[in-house]
Amino acid sequence: MMQSSPLNFRRTIIWIGRLVLGGIFIYAGYAKIFLPIMHPRPPVGVALAFFALQVGSYQILPPWGVNFVAHTLPFAEVALGLLLIIGWRLRIWAVLSTLLILGFFAAVIRSYAAGMQINCGCFATPEPLTIATVLRDGALAALAVVMTVFTFIEARKPHPWSATQST
Amino acid sequence: MHRLRRVDSFVLSGLVALALLFAPAFGVSAGQSAAVPDIDPHAAVGSKNAPIVMEVFSDFQCPACKTLFVTTNRQVMDNYVSTGKVYLIHRDFPLPMHAHSQVAAQYSRAAAHVGKLEPVEQALFDNQEKWEQNGDVDGTVAAVLTPAEMTKVRALVKSGTPNALIQKDLALGKFYNVNQTPTTVFHAKGQTFPYSGVMSYEILRNFLDQLGK
Repeated sequence: MMQSSPLNFRRTIIWIGRLVLGGIFIYAGYAKIFLPIMHPRPPVGVALAFFALQVGSYQILPPWGVNFVAHTLPFAEVALGLLLIIGWRLRIWAVLSTLLILGFFAAVIRSYAAGMQINCGCFATPEPLTIATVLRDGALAALAVVMTVFTFIEARKPHPWSATQST
Repeated sequence: MHRLRRVDSFVLSGLVALALLFAPAFGVSAGQSAAVPDIDPHAAVGSKNAPIVMEVFSDFQCPACKTLFVTTNRQVMDNYVSTGKVYLIHRDFPLPMHAHSQVAAQYSRAAAHVGKLEPVEQALFDNQEKWEQNGDVDGTVAAVLTPAEMTKVRALVKSGTPNALIQKDLALGKFYNVNQTPTTVFHAKGQTFPYSGVMSYEILRNFLDQLGK
């Protein structure tokens, strides 16, 4: 019986998803916490309060919800990004990151459809929310969904490196 | 005697230089307005020495600008501008898609030069739906000014003086990459934070408090 390759199509997609989404999450969280585009860099409190303005511009949450999200989301993004790349308990973090990206995607679609002229706030830059933002978030959401589905499918099979070779 | 004076002036210069060097470390600064170009003092409210400067690029015919003015900036004026914490600069950014916003900007700028920016700004935003339908910017402004003030405003508008100032604001907006209204640019401690869209006062207050720390 032939043993499956360690890097078949699904596993390649999982690896790409982990690296791309993990990297993007880490950078997005880091950018919100430290505002690296600014010189000199502002204190973390100022950076998070500025991010709160951008969360508020979506007009989805009440002020207390905006402050909660603004002060927790960037750290959650960094943590999720690291956990995706490390790969420990991958299915849990794949599901959570997919839900998070789908949440972002829904917020972006809602704001774009309502004609709200706001900044995306995705990477703490003054980037207007345009159709390009919608397409980018859509592509990331699709990658996250496919990665998560493939993660569950692959988890049902024995790992290629631990599979016993039959004679 | 002369030598003593020379020593005194030398010591004094040294102390001034030291004070300038260490002032930022103790949070002492000359106010952020020094770092902001092209300020028309007539179109600004508050203390020039305030630690935070807010430049609001606005279009009188834009509904979101009205919302920002009515729900947020009025409270900022009451609680931060009047207490010397924020220097608020009105920047005109009339968008070409709005038929009467250029005229409204001219009247507001002229009113600013006769010391009546706030009541005229308030009147233009409060009656936005009316004058954007009938184009009667002149009548809307006249309702909140005395006849003498209105004569001066009309003369200024006719002279074209406000246009030059509006063009300066537009050029500055392009420098900041402003592509929509309202856009607010915050300046504090040498940093610049551009923000597009409406802000809730509750959330903005938190940001201003953090900036002022």
